[in-house]
Amino acid sequence: MPKYMLLLHDDPSGFASVSPEQMQQIIEKYMKWGNKLRTSGVLISSDKLTGEPGRVMRGKNGQVRVTDGPYSETKEVLGGYYTIQAASYDEALDRARDCPHLEYGGTIEVRQVDDMMRK
Amino acid sequence: MMPAPVSTDATRVMVDHLFRNRAGQMVAYLTRIFGAAHLDLAEEVVQDALVKALQQWPFSGIPDNPGGWLFRVARNGALDALRRHASFRDKAAEIARELSSAAYDAPDDPPGDDELRMMFMCCHPSLPRDARVALSLKTVGGFSVPEIARAFLTAESAIAQRLVRAKRQIRETGLDLELPGQRAPGSSEAEDGFAARLESVLEVIYLLFNEGYAAGSGEDLVRLDLCGEALRLGRLVADSPATTAPAAHALVALMAFQAARLPARVDASGELVLLEDQDRSLWDARLTALGFHHFGESAEGPVKTPYHVQAAIAAVHAGTAEAAHTPWDRILALYDELLAMTSSPVVALNRAVALSKVSGPVDALAAIAPLDAEPALAGYYLLPAVKGRLLMEAGDPAGAAAAYRAALERPCAEPERRFLISQETRSQEKQEIKRS
Repeated sequence: MPKYMLLLHDDPSGFASVSPEQMQQIIEKYMKWGNKLRTSGVLISSDKLTGEPGRVMRGKNGQVRVTDGPYSETKEVLGGYYTIQAASYDEALDRARDCPHLEYGGTIEVRQVDDMMRK
Repeated sequence: MMPAPVSTDATRVMVDHLFRNRAGQMVAYLTRIFGAAHLDLAEEVVQDALVKALQQWPFSGIPDNPGGWLFRVARNGALDALRRHASFRDKAAEIARELSSAAYDAPDDPPGDDELRMMFMCCHPSLPRDARVALSLKTVGGFSVPEIARAFLTAESAIAQRLVRAKRQIRETGLDLELPGQRAPGSSEAEDGFAARLESVLEVIYLLFNEGYAAGSGEDLVRLDLCGEALRLGRLVADSPATTAPAAHALVALMAFQAARLPARVDASGELVLLEDQDRSLWDARLTALGFHHFGESAEGPVKTPYHVQAAIAAVHAGTAEAAHTPWDRILALYDELLAMTSSPVVALNRAVALSKVSGPVDALAAIAPLDAEPALAGYYLLPAVKGRLLMEAGDPAGAAAAYRAALERPCAEPERRFLISQETRSQEKQEIKRS
């Protein structure tokens, strides 16, 4: 079964005005969504990335240049990811469609893991 | 930071209002440690900790001890803040020691004391009355500015401004998280000081409760949450040895009896049901029992406050299984007592309803006639609404319809509005039957 990565991007500055009660409700929604993946047996793993912008390394003319953060037009950062099993892109999109992340204005990048070479 | 123990139990759920209650506890704790002048910083640190949970838990699951997790992250954030803020200079080391020694799950000991201190500071008589309410909800209750604005049907900017001014006043006048020095034996001054501060705290709690209660069931959950929060804060005050007082118990009893009736206040179609028509089996037995427990405690000592009498009235209703068996003469006697204590026109209006049950609607109408001239009731829809009901009982449907129409011209919540319209229609129909 093919694997897909759901990469969750969001803009953390939007969290400043969310009330404690709302935060709890949002988390509970994510849990419900994640549990659905888990009980359907399609969730392989999920991880959160640390909050700082991270580093970008670039090789040029034999030199390595390290800079802070990904260069991005928006304030969105990659917050974490879920790896799931799905038969097709369509199925992966269906699994992600009711993720609360989208309800709160986040972006989900869906990518298929390429394991052709291992076969 | 140590990696947090994270649950593999996918079905784990959080207790209701965990974030809101923890936010209140942690802000109270950090404000005590930092000093009240740094209330804003404490709030910022706590908000950051909650955001971290929001970013982490969807991926890692809810930790085994969510409250402990939040406190640990807030504490680390507080230690960072200490390093960043130069204003702590001399005190930073001492504060850091105190933070580091705190237990993860019970930062204050005995639990609730920090919240009580915070509550007494937020309700300090030197702060403006409306600021006390907003500040208590924000810092102790963990409500956000938009939530407070919604609960009080006020603009967010107005609430935000009240909070800013109150915090400035706290900084400038050096208010701190000290419980009033009560119970100093032989010092009547300390005793008076405590009584005044307690009165202000109880007033704010009762205001919160009434604001939520007025919202009606199901109309707006944020407003109904005020009832739960008021009850929680009231119990905190009543149950803590440092602040307990007969008046606090009486207030908790009153709120518990009233909250018990909430499930019966609207019917299946969302229409308002009057106390005497309510299905009493829907009353929350647990809350009624809580009410009787605190009502018993409130009788310790010679003090009798308006809360005591109101709780006594609510207790009579709570103890009457069928509305038809209500001992109205006892309720009328209690209203007489309450009216003598408060001389409030709202109490006079409620007393008239009891009076109508004892000696008929004509006497009750005579009793409320002077209230028309009462400026405090000029925009109060219940005055003409009660009059409409009494006129109907007195066999004057035309007068009743006119009174209900007058009530509809005054502001009231949507379920009440629908109720008034249905009563007005009924009066009209009665009038037509009478004519034909």
